[in-house]
Amino acid sequence: MKLDGFILGLSNGVACIATCAPVLIPYLLGEGKGIVRNYWVTGQFLFGRLFGYLLFAVLAWTVSSAILQETGLRNPIIGIAYILFSGLLIFYGFFNKTNVSCKAACNSNKYKRLLALWPALLPVAAGFATGLSFCPPFLLAFTGAAEQTSLLAAMLFFFSFFLGTSLLFVLAPFVGMFKRFQVLQIVGKMAAGLMGLYYLYSGVILIIGGLKII
Amino acid sequence: MAGIIPASQQPGILKTLLLCLPMIFITQMMLSAGKPLPTEPAGIVSFAVTFIFVNSIFFLMIRTGKTDRWRSILFVTYSVCFVLSFITNLFEVRGSMAISQANMIEGLTPFCHMVIPVTLIPAALTRTIIFPGTIIGTWASIATMFVLWIGSSLALGRGFCSWFCFFGGMDEGFSRLFKKARIKKVNPRWTYLPYAVLLLIVLASAVTLAPFYCEWLCPFKTVTEFAEITSLKIFIQTIIFVSLFIALVMVLPALTRRRTQCSLFCPFGAFQSLTNKINVFEIRVEPDKCIQCKKCIATCPSFSINEETIAKGKTAMTCMKCGKCVDACKQQAIFYHIKGAPLAHGKPEIYRRLFIYPAFLFLATMSGGYVQDAILKIIKLIATGSIF
Repeated sequence: MKLDGFILGLSNGVACIATCAPVLIPYLLGEGKGIVRNYWVTGQFLFGRLFGYLLFAVLAWTVSSAILQETGLRNPIIGIAYILFSGLLIFYGFFNKTNVSCKAACNSNKYKRLLALWPALLPVAAGFATGLSFCPPFLLAFTGAAEQTSLLAAMLFFFSFFLGTSLLFVLAPFVGMFKRFQVLQIVGKMAAGLMGLYYLYSGVILIIGGLKII
Repeated sequence: MAGIIPASQQPGILKTLLLCLPMIFITQMMLSAGKPLPTEPAGIVSFAVTFIFVNSIFFLMIRTGKTDRWRSILFVTYSVCFVLSFITNLFEVRGSMAISQANMIEGLTPFCHMVIPVTLIPAALTRTIIFPGTIIGTWASIATMFVLWIGSSLALGRGFCSWFCFFGGMDEGFSRLFKKARIKKVNPRWTYLPYAVLLLIVLASAVTLAPFYCEWLCPFKTVTEFAEITSLKIFIQTIIFVSLFIALVMVLPALTRRRTQCSLFCPFGAFQSLTNKINVFEIRVEPDKCIQCKKCIATCPSFSINEETIAKGKTAMTCMKCGKCVDACKQQAIFYHIKGAPLAHGKPEIYRRLFIYPAFLFLATMSGGYVQDAILKIIKLIATGSIF
């Protein structure tokens, strides 16, 4: 276990949950499942984050952090990830099942089938996209991973960082206590859709200008 | 039909005047702010016109038994005068409606009630107010607005949105432009959108420790003040809030004859709905008297009455207590009521008066200063060619 990565993650867990909560909480509310099921969904979400982290561990090790900081590719790549993710969120929020506009929903059968086939897609994608936020703790972890001597060490560093940041997610599934309130499902889905619009904006801005947001 | 009170039961002019006396005294005190009455001609005219206008509205409310018909006149005037007064003040002080970064750092941004929901979590967690305003000491300080909000919420619940909010009169004004609604059916699902916006802005503000709603969504920045455009981000924010203003405050209210900004978007309104639970005043429906004409459903500006709520004998939690449904019901099946008081043998007119005294006091107090100021500036403009 990389203790330094774990401690770094633990000390910055509040910042991480703050970044993820606007996406995770509306989604959990929108699903309207119980606490146990929410733990499963949160697990999928965290798996997406872990996947994103490990991907960056590989990048940190293979490419020096300095090069990746300078490259013009970083923001467009994350921007594209944000746009794809925002598409999923907007579809989930406004067109999936609780379709406000039948026409729009009927035109989106592919997405509907995709989500029906793989319900974990959205939480995993959400975890992945929110995991890509270049917050100060993430950059610290990135630098720490870049300093590791092997790929395995870099991945272990990010893994322990992930574990540290994930501890605070223990409370998130408790929104399942409100599952009896069906109205909250509608509200949660709409909020997720609105968050999708924000990520769409973030993605476009990252691609065209690399402006720092959120 | 001369109102919800049959002509035979309308109070006489003397009784009406007696009932108006407390309001006459209080409004005189509130409009003059406890100071001696103005002595210069423009000041006298603006004070007198406002005083007579406000008290005439209250007189008519008591005399005719109609609430919304008269409330809406003052409420819309209030909004128009607020915008006139606010913008001209900004030009006088700053020379522009745009607020610069330097002004924000100095804490010169006026605080408005719309920000209250997004400040609560960061205030609890970090003991800081995430708004570039002043805590105390100015006319639009954070403490002043919190005190006003708490007082009016306790007294009126979500009635705040129809008797206090200086923005509400704008979409109400536009909703009255046409006699008939061009869009008659609105999917009730959209009435949940304000709660989604509320959830979004509360979470996003807690994350960014910045007033997310003010930065990105508040449509009323269009007619008050907005951040100086110094970056692409602020430019996009400007496009968003101006578009929201045009769509939600101007176009949709005119087409639907509903207060669409207040009932389909405003996160503060959604937040304020919760205060209806602790407020003693409510609107009740007597299903036995109801003849299912559905006029109340068609006229409610906030989508707060439907067949389901009528069957339950009350309005939805989102009710703004404007009184439009009460005025519209010729059967007197809908009325103001005090929670816990008897329904069947109650006296609806007494309950209504008990509500409109505090409600009108808030409206008169809030609107009076802006109406006076706007009149004063119009007089100055006519007399000198300048409002300053």
